Amino acid sequence: METMKRALSKESQSFLENLRLYLISNGKDDEEINAIVEELEDHLMEAESRGKTVDDIIGRSPKQYMKQLSDEMVTNKREWFKHILMIIVGFTAFSILTDAINGHISYSTMEITGSIIICLVSIFSIRKAFQYVSTTNFLSIKKEFTLYTIIGLLPIILFIGLTYLDRLVKTPIFYFSDMGTIIIVVLSIGILIGMSLWAKTWVVFIMLALLIIPDFIIDHIDVQPGIKLVLSTLITFGGITIYLMFNHKKMQKQV
Amino acid sequence: MSSTQMLKGIIDGCILAIIQEKEIYGYELAEKLEQYGFDSFSEGTIYPLLIRMQKEELVTSTLKKSTAGPKRKYYSLTQKGKNELQQFMVRWDKLQNSVNHVLYK
Repeated sequence: METMKRALSKESQSFLENLRLYLISNGKDDEEINAIVEELEDHLMEAESRGKTVDDIIGRSPKQYMKQLSDEMVTNKREWFKHILMIIVGFTAFSILTDAINGHISYSTMEITGSIIICLVSIFSIRKAFQYVSTTNFLSIKKEFTLYTIIGLLPIILFIGLTYLDRLVKTPIFYFSDMGTIIIVVLSIGILIGMSLWAKTWVVFIMLALLIIPDFIIDHIDVQPGIKLVLSTLITFGGITIYLMFNHKKMQKQV
Repeated sequence: MSSTQMLKGIIDGCILAIIQEKEIYGYELAEKLEQYGFDSFSEGTIYPLLIRMQKEELVTSTLKKSTAGPKRKYYSLTQKGKNELQQFMVRWDKLQNSVNHVLYK
C-alpha cells in the first residue's frame, strides 16, 4: 500500500485545483466541494499508481467534466450572498477605520453608492476570472498573471475614477458627530474582529496595521512630502508581500 | 449512435446492481464496471451519477478509514435504491427481449 501514498502527478493536482476553483466560483457548498475533491483525489491516486492518467479518468474535456459535476451539485445562492455581503461589510468597516485614523469620517452619497457598485463589479469580475482560469486548458502562467493583475487593478482604477467623479458632481454628504464617530469605529472594529475569528485569520488587522503604522511613523519624521508618500507606499506593499510570502510558506508546510 | 449515448440510463441500473452486491467505494466501482466490459466511458463519469443518486436517495455513503490513509467514501443502497434496481431489471428484461426480437426474429 506504500505506492498509494505517492504524490499525485502535476496534471492531476492542477485538475483538482481547477475543479475546486470552478465549483467555488459556481457557488457550490463548501462541504460538498471538499467531499468530491477528496473523493476524486483518492481515485486519481489509485488510478495513477496503476498507470492511468488523469485524461483516462475524466475524459477528453476537463471543462465538460467539471460542468457535469457542477450540474449535479446544489448551488448555494445563499452562500454566495453571504460572501458578497461579508466582503462589502468588511470593506466598509475597513475603510471607515482607515478614514477615522486620518481624521475624517464623512461620505457623500456618490461615494457610498459608488463604493458598493465597485465592490459588486470587482466580485463579479473575480468570479468570472476564476471560472475562466479553471476551465481553460494550458493557460500560460504569464497570461494568468496578466489576468489577475488586470482584475487587481480594476477596483483601484474604478476608485480613482470615483474620487474624481465625486469632486465633479456634488451630492449630499453625511457627517458623523463625535459620538457617532466613536460608535461607528467601535462597530467597525467589532465587525472585523468577528469576521477574523470566523475566518480564523488575522489578515485584515495585519493589512490595517501595514496601511496605518507606516503613515503614522513617517508623519513624525522630517522628510519631503514626495519621499514620504513613496516611503509609506513602499513599506505598506513590501509588508504585505512579506506577509503573503510567509503565509504561503506556512501553508506549504502544512500540506 | 455511439455506445456512450446508448449507455445513458442503463449505466445507472448497473451501478445500482454492483453497489447492491457489497458496500463499495468509487475506484472499486469503476474497476468493476471495466471488468464487466464497460470500457468505452471514462471512469470519472461515475461521480456525477453517484452525486445524483445520492440526491435522489437511491444510495447513501459513509466515510471509512482506508489502508491508504485518507478516509474513503463507501456507497450502499437504500430501500428506495433496491426498489429502483428491481424496476430497472424488469424494464431491462422487457427492452432486451424487444430488441432481440427485432434484430434476430
